[in-house]
Amino acid sequence: MKGILDYVPGSSFLHRLNPLVKLLLAFVLCASCFVTGNHFIVLGVIALNLALAFSAGIFGRALKMLSSLLKLSALLFLVQIFFVREGQILLQLPLGLYITDLGLSFSLLFVLRLLAAALPLGLMLSVTQTSDIPNVLVRKLGLPYQYAFVLGTAIRFIPLFAQEMAGIMEAQTARGVEFDTKNFFKKVALLLPLCAPLLVSSVRRIEGGAISAELRGFYLRGRKSGYKDYPFALRDFGALLGGACVLALAVLF
Amino acid sequence: MLEFQRVCFGYESESATLKDLSFTINEGEFVALLGENGAGKSTLCRLANGLLKPSSGRVLAFGNDTGQVKTSLLARDIGFLFQNPDRQICQSSVRDEILFGLEIALDDAAARQARCDEMLQLFSLSGERDPFGMSRGERQQIALASVLARAPKLLILDEPTTGLDYRECMTIMGIIAQLHARGTTILMISHDMEIVADFAGRALVISEGRLIGDGPVRQIMRDEGLLGRASLLPAQIPALGARLGGPYAEAFSVEEMLSLILEQKGAAR
Amino acid sequence: MIELKNLGFRYSGAERHALDGISLTIEDGAFLGLIGSSGAGKSTLCYALSGIVPHHYRGDFYGELLVEGMDSAEHRPEEIARVLGCVFQDIDGQMVASVVEDEILFGLENFGVPREEIEGRVAEALAAAGISELRCRAISDLSGGQKQKVAIAAITALRPKIIVLDEPTGELDPRSSRRVFETLKELNEQYGVTIVVVEQKIMLLCEFAKRLAVMEEGKLILEGEVREVLQSAGRMEAAGVNIPRVTTLARALREEGLYGGRLPLNLEEGEKMMREVGLSC
Repeated sequence: MKGILDYVPGSSFLHRLNPLVKLLLAFVLCASCFVTGNHFIVLGVIALNLALAFSAGIFGRALKMLSSLLKLSALLFLVQIFFVREGQILLQLPLGLYITDLGLSFSLLFVLRLLAAALPLGLMLSVTQTSDIPNVLVRKLGLPYQYAFVLGTAIRFIPLFAQEMAGIMEAQTARGVEFDTKNFFKKVALLLPLCAPLLVSSVRRIEGGAISAELRGFYLRGRKSGYKDYPFALRDFGALLGGACVLALAVLF
Repeated sequence: MLEFQRVCFGYESESATLKDLSFTINEGEFVALLGENGAGKSTLCRLANGLLKPSSGRVLAFGNDTGQVKTSLLARDIGFLFQNPDRQICQSSVRDEILFGLEIALDDAAARQARCDEMLQLFSLSGERDPFGMSRGERQQIALASVLARAPKLLILDEPTTGLDYRECMTIMGIIAQLHARGTTILMISHDMEIVADFAGRALVISEGRLIGDGPVRQIMRDEGLLGRASLLPAQIPALGARLGGPYAEAFSVEEMLSLILEQKGAAR
Repeated sequence: MIELKNLGFRYSGAERHALDGISLTIEDGAFLGLIGSSGAGKSTLCYALSGIVPHHYRGDFYGELLVEGMDSAEHRPEEIARVLGCVFQDIDGQMVASVVEDEILFGLENFGVPREEIEGRVAEALAAAGISELRCRAISDLSGGQKQKVAIAAITALRPKIIVLDEPTGELDPRSSRRVFETLKELNEQYGVTIVVVEQKIMLLCEFAKRLAVMEEGKLILEGEVREVLQSAGRMEAAGVNIPRVTTLARALREEGLYGGRLPLNLEEGEKMMREVGLSC
């Protein structure tokens, strides 16, 4: 089964961009959301993300990411909105709780930022081969390979862990643990003892990976041993220019 | 006790993994589920205990429609042993692990202790050991012990002997055969045709999501064409019998073949 | 060539030796099957062959192990890796990339293979494993059997003289298991690679391996040509190792005094035995 952050093969414009540019672009989009205070710019970034996803043929996945982020956002939104006490009171609630116009605006911006900042990272991982990220950091930025490898491995393990966790929950449900409960807090409480099997399998896995890498000459690798070059093309400069424009808009408004 | 009625199942977007499956498993049977990796065996087992719900058709377990009942409730009657014991084991001693599974099923603490002791004895396990330091075969035994502690009426086994050596294999299968003799119904996925020949009474053969064979193991094992379609080879002794033909075609185990030979020899003398 | 001279190893903290006085010579071009119950020391032997023991796992190490003349106690695992490649049990854990091509490139890049040579090596390794069409696929999309072949290709690309595999068919169905062994046979016969494979499925070893080694509690108890070793089927059973059913039948016939010939190890030989016993049908 495929995780939501796994690489999706393809040959779209986005896929063919230099991995470093993809990385930069993702960070520029994230940054834009945080420098701007304008709701519409943030909404625009979300729309831009969806458009990019569509062009790379992963629109469905982007929507799925958006919907799972929305669940988290809804929770944060509720917490935020009661936290802000300044501004004009719009709605008075029992228990001394009230909602202000500033609170509403602030919470909305907060949640939108969260969505707009998480999406580009998810998209970037979806259209970039995992090993390209460390490789390009080594070749273009001179990052020591060993650090880059750790970064790459961490990214690659996310879906593996998710898969393992799903398997563990399945096994526990089958022995009668109520993971199919609708109660969120109960579910969290049930999850805690499962950290042990997850940890054990992860440690085994990482150990196996380390040995296998060592036996394939991991420690021999130098900066120049990369096979793939990552030349910049015209489209890369175009994409960067686009990113810069978004950032400029975000700073100005 | 377990009934599949025209069951179809498809993971999102992919073409259906199971197509129009109908069969019934009765109390006390020992059924082997055969087929290639990816044929849909694991999916079928997960449908049987409600971990997955059919896209169309119905699965009835003990009269309950699995689509209507929570899996954790079905788990009271259906035990499920997964291929990888590490996904199940989450406690730091063998005793705690077995008790953890029991906590949900039994309210009485003394009864839980008693049942746990019974299991430790059945498997000749020491309750104080830490499962994580034990071998794969021992961990598989612990996982099985904690499933059996809840005395399921139906036991589903997903390749219970994968990754085990021959001795561990025989230990696990010996316990499963004992349970079966005491009346537990068994549904077991296995690739090992020798084990299937030795232990199972009935076999279901699946290929590309369809049920292509259902009958007594003795009969299925002789149908090389059917097995071939599921890329399986018959166990060695039935295959040898088939080659020799005559009375030997009926021989199913080493013992049967031997007594047939002795019989023939005696007659010749 | 690999030479083990009275090799022993005890993991630090363990009570007994995982390897206990093993002497064995593995000739060039061999196809050696290694069998034994769990805890017999098979995996530790694989670790020793690759130099992981004693360099990665610490403990008491005695005796001598020479891989192509390199003493494993003195040479680092990555030096030994230039002539000896390993595929371990946990297939998902040992993958370092997300796409098949990158998995193959990993070792080639590390060992500093000249760039102009790399493309040819990748293509050749994929072809030898029979997975050329998988080159651009995501590893997470592959079946267990395909992943196993990717792991083998990642090793063959480095052109080792020896490949060591620890239970490569553990989680595979009969057909995929056979395909993995067919790939190994191809590497052995076409490319002259020495194969050392730990395997529980005795029938596969009977069909594909040339020699068989049986381990029990850290010791090597039997070693020789497969059919020679199978003659000691009783000893193998005592060590907790499965033997083919026709061999079991032959032993039973021997006990009855009906058969005095050699023990058969596959169907064809079983049939021949039955005719010798005087059963014509």
